[in-house]
Amino acid sequence: MEIRPILSAMLRNKTGAILIAVQIALTLAIVCNAVFIIHDRITQMGRPSGMDEENIFIANLSAYKADYVADSAIKTDLDLMRSLPGVVDATYTQSIPLSGGGWSDGATTIADEHPKSTVGMGVYHMDDHALNALGVKLVEGRNFNHDEIVYVDGDKYTTPTQAVISKAFGEKLWPGQDALGKTFYEGTKGINVIGVVDTLEGTWPHWPGFERSVIFPTVLESAYMRVLVRTLPGQRDEVMKEAEKKLGDAHTGNFVRSIHPLAFYRDSTNSGDHAMTVMLSAVTVMILAITALGIVGLASFSVRQRTRQIGTRRALGATRRDIVRYFMTENWLITTMGVLLGSVFAVALNYWLVELYDLPHIAWYYIPVGIVSLWVLGLLAVLGPALKAAAIPPAIATRNV
Amino acid sequence: MNDSNGSKNMLSMQNISKIYRTDVVQTHALREFSLEVKEGEFVAVMGPSGSGKTTFLNIAGLLESFDTGIYMLDGEDVSHLSDDGRSRIRNERIGFIFQSFNLIPDLNVFDNVDVPLRYRGLKSADRAKRIQDALETVGLASRMKHLPSQLSGGQQQRVAIARALAGEPRILFADEPTGNLDSLMARQVLDMLESINASGTTIVMVTHDPELARRAHRSVHVLDGQVMDLKAVPDTGGKRDNGKAQA
Amino acid sequence: MFLYNLRLALLSLKRDPVLTLLMVGAVAVGIGMSTTTLAVYHSMSGNPIPQKSGQLFAVQLDNWSPSQPYNDPDDPPTQVTYRDAQNLMHAGKAKHQNASFTSAMVLQTDKPDVKPDLIVARATFDDFFPMFDVPFEYGGPWNKDADQNAEQVVVLDHEYNQKLFGGANSVGKEIILNNRRFRVVGVLKPWAPSPKYYDLENDQFGDPEDMFIPFNLVSGMQLHSNGNNSCWGPPADNSFQGYLNSECVWIQFWAELPTKAEQDDYHQFLDNYVQDQKKLGRFPRPLNNRLNDVTDWLAYNHVVSKDSEALVGLSFMFLAVCMLNTIGLILAKFLRRSGEIGLRRAVGASKAALFRQYLVETGVIGISGGLLGILLGWAGLIGVRHLINSSDHYTHLDWTMVGVSLLLALLSSMLAGIYPAWRVVRIPPAIYLKVQ
Repeated sequence: MEIRPILSAMLRNKTGAILIAVQIALTLAIVCNAVFIIHDRITQMGRPSGMDEENIFIANLSAYKADYVADSAIKTDLDLMRSLPGVVDATYTQSIPLSGGGWSDGATTIADEHPKSTVGMGVYHMDDHALNALGVKLVEGRNFNHDEIVYVDGDKYTTPTQAVISKAFGEKLWPGQDALGKTFYEGTKGINVIGVVDTLEGTWPHWPGFERSVIFPTVLESAYMRVLVRTLPGQRDEVMKEAEKKLGDAHTGNFVRSIHPLAFYRDSTNSGDHAMTVMLSAVTVMILAITALGIVGLASFSVRQRTRQIGTRRALGATRRDIVRYFMTENWLITTMGVLLGSVFAVALNYWLVELYDLPHIAWYYIPVGIVSLWVLGLLAVLGPALKAAAIPPAIATRNV
Repeated sequence: MNDSNGSKNMLSMQNISKIYRTDVVQTHALREFSLEVKEGEFVAVMGPSGSGKTTFLNIAGLLESFDTGIYMLDGEDVSHLSDDGRSRIRNERIGFIFQSFNLIPDLNVFDNVDVPLRYRGLKSADRAKRIQDALETVGLASRMKHLPSQLSGGQQQRVAIARALAGEPRILFADEPTGNLDSLMARQVLDMLESINASGTTIVMVTHDPELARRAHRSVHVLDGQVMDLKAVPDTGGKRDNGKAQA
Repeated sequence: MFLYNLRLALLSLKRDPVLTLLMVGAVAVGIGMSTTTLAVYHSMSGNPIPQKSGQLFAVQLDNWSPSQPYNDPDDPPTQVTYRDAQNLMHAGKAKHQNASFTSAMVLQTDKPDVKPDLIVARATFDDFFPMFDVPFEYGGPWNKDADQNAEQVVVLDHEYNQKLFGGANSVGKEIILNNRRFRVVGVLKPWAPSPKYYDLENDQFGDPEDMFIPFNLVSGMQLHSNGNNSCWGPPADNSFQGYLNSECVWIQFWAELPTKAEQDDYHQFLDNYVQDQKKLGRFPRPLNNRLNDVTDWLAYNHVVSKDSEALVGLSFMFLAVCMLNTIGLILAKFLRRSGEIGLRRAVGASKAALFRQYLVETGVIGISGGLLGILLGWAGLIGVRHLINSSDHYTHLDWTMVGVSLLLALLSSMLAGIYPAWRVVRIPPAIYLKVQ
């Protein structure tokens, strides 16, 4: 309604308006990108791993006796775990899922000693209890049989001939085809796919190939071993305590050097992402607060400075609502200039971040959502000073200084 | 109620009282204040500072409410109007001329005159015509794009008059309209007020300057929040008892 | 005059406590956020060995597969093979050179009731200690003979000496690692270069190893690296010896080359070495050997996390917003005091004097905001430490950072104050004295 006169009045007091507008522009740029990164990280951290994450723990064991026999120790410890009340199942594992450290290799669909390119895969070495212990869903084919598990000295390791793979890995190797029964190769060694599981994350959540996993039916005999145990829902912590005690008393020549829930490894792998989301959330909240307070502060000043003018407007027939509307409109205009400039800043900042990270470009809708949020923030911030302005009595107009 | 009857009251105040309260003091700004102004009159309200004449102006101009009494403006009882109702009447029926002009420094002449018209919600073409006419009346049509700071005091007050006129008010309140002007400019402004009055607009002018008051049809003296004396106006009943104020 | 201005400033700030709080708060939050992110960045990008970072070189040899580079586009492996490590050690062409890797070992003592413990040992040559300026509390490195004969000697870090021997001089005492007896020859002073530049393969900001043992124990004890191990092509045979002879890379190799000439010579030596090896059928890729000094090596390994970089950028933008906020408030406040300014001008204060007066006021805001900001930044670092792995060494606020933050606060608030002060002082005094 009265945009033009408000605008021309504003143009005569540019500095304050420009300061707020630039502030809003930077705020929009920061908030859009921060929220975008936060969303990206939270999505990644919240991604289903395919495993029964909350009910799994892992015991890390090390041999210390000279007469330690890996093969029997492993079998004894696994039997012990499987017989514990509250345990769903337990498997030997060479590496810890989601922990950020593990075994990877490159695969091809044809045998080639020196392939030009390979498909990266995360490798788990586990036994025939793996699927049940992890809680992953077999969608095709079968699990390993007990007698297919190969016990081998760590230094004499050879590639196995069978594997259960994740759907994503099969899809990458043979797009659009059924992976079951096919053979993939590590160099010239062929590996037959006997089963396909729905989703199974590897050990590196930050690796782009995180969902390309294979399980090999191999137990590597060495001084170090790990047991992965899945418990009944809600019993993880109790069972874990019991397991630590039982493993310690088993006299297999090894000791429990650490025992942690899977969530512990997952969370420490994600701690950087978690820290980033917390920091960015803090930045977002604080910048919105600072900007809102800045708007309140400058609007209060402008109300105080324009007391007489407001009284005059009231005397000339402006209602309280008219006065509130005046300040709201003025603020809306400043915010609008800010967000227009801010949209450019937001895209520029995003380009820098994309350059820095392997990050996709910001989704377009972040900017309009950000704009609307800042509009609302601006209007809420200016409401207080505007109401104060509306309370200025019209009789101010006849007061002579 | 706008039928033109020469003896119709434009403003009628009956026993208006206004008390300003602070924690420690009560000040009777107006006590049992009564005054009637006929349609088409040009009345000067006089009194020394602190007499209550500014309070009278604020109440008469609906800038302030009062405690007791009845106030009829242009045939309507405005004693108990809401804030919005008072705003509407100020906007549509009242024009103000202030001692310190009260132009909005950030707006040019055109936009200043436009301010009350905007609040009335008139169409832009209508507003433009009224502004043009009002500025022509005060002889400043050529200064529309000027800012108040680029004008002399007399010119600024003429812009304020144009702003009051553009709304075609039924009654014009002038508060020491020449107080901040030199005598030449003051005379121009007074001439203008007289000609506005001559074209039918009722004017109530608050001043402490007897010279100025002499240009009005009659003068009313206010002292201690009461009307002192009603003189030289034959068709107004002078039956107020002023004895108390003299005490 | 300065004290007078200071008093005026404090009076003025006291007059509007809410506003003052808002301005100081905005500066503090901006500085606090920047301090936190800069401190993290600063320790990540810090030089862990400034006295000789230009003389220590990480060695890269490209022994990778003929069909694929180790890393795109054409990067050689970041570690070397056992064979190459031994060959380069034997050649001994540099002032110091060192091959090492970490291995997890089971620690036992002669006290039977003490539970065994898993420690991380670095298998290394004795050059490691002088090369990386490792400080000793007791004893010292082992000697060349111990390296040559793969003697069972060990250097303990400060912490394990505390744990095992209560911090006493333990030189000559024995401990058991993987069921073998080791004699303590030295104990380190607390030592934790950050980043852990000499081995960036694992936990770049983690603690150094618990113990150090001679590298040549590797074959006799069949020590495996617990760090990154990358292979191409299968080993010749399935034995530990086969593994040692394979093209798997798992050993960090460094050379100390004090002068440009030595660096050039060493690079030439590496090229010649690889040419010789090519004759043996190894090194199928084109010649691609590299020497990176510490600073370049940290950059090459992207030690400064991208998150840290992004946060520094964002927090500077955040600081800009806080500063714009403060400029707006200061300006509004100064302009409102026009009456006082006019009076001071009228009684003869020069523009310069007034300008100084206002700068003192903004300076007070800046310094108090800055000090508060450093406290906030420090609190922020404690917060970050709780968010991430607490053993990582990049959440410390050193004096450099305190100074930088204070300077940043002062500078930015001065910048924020200059414009409003200039605006106010520029307006002619007449305007202020005129009745509104």
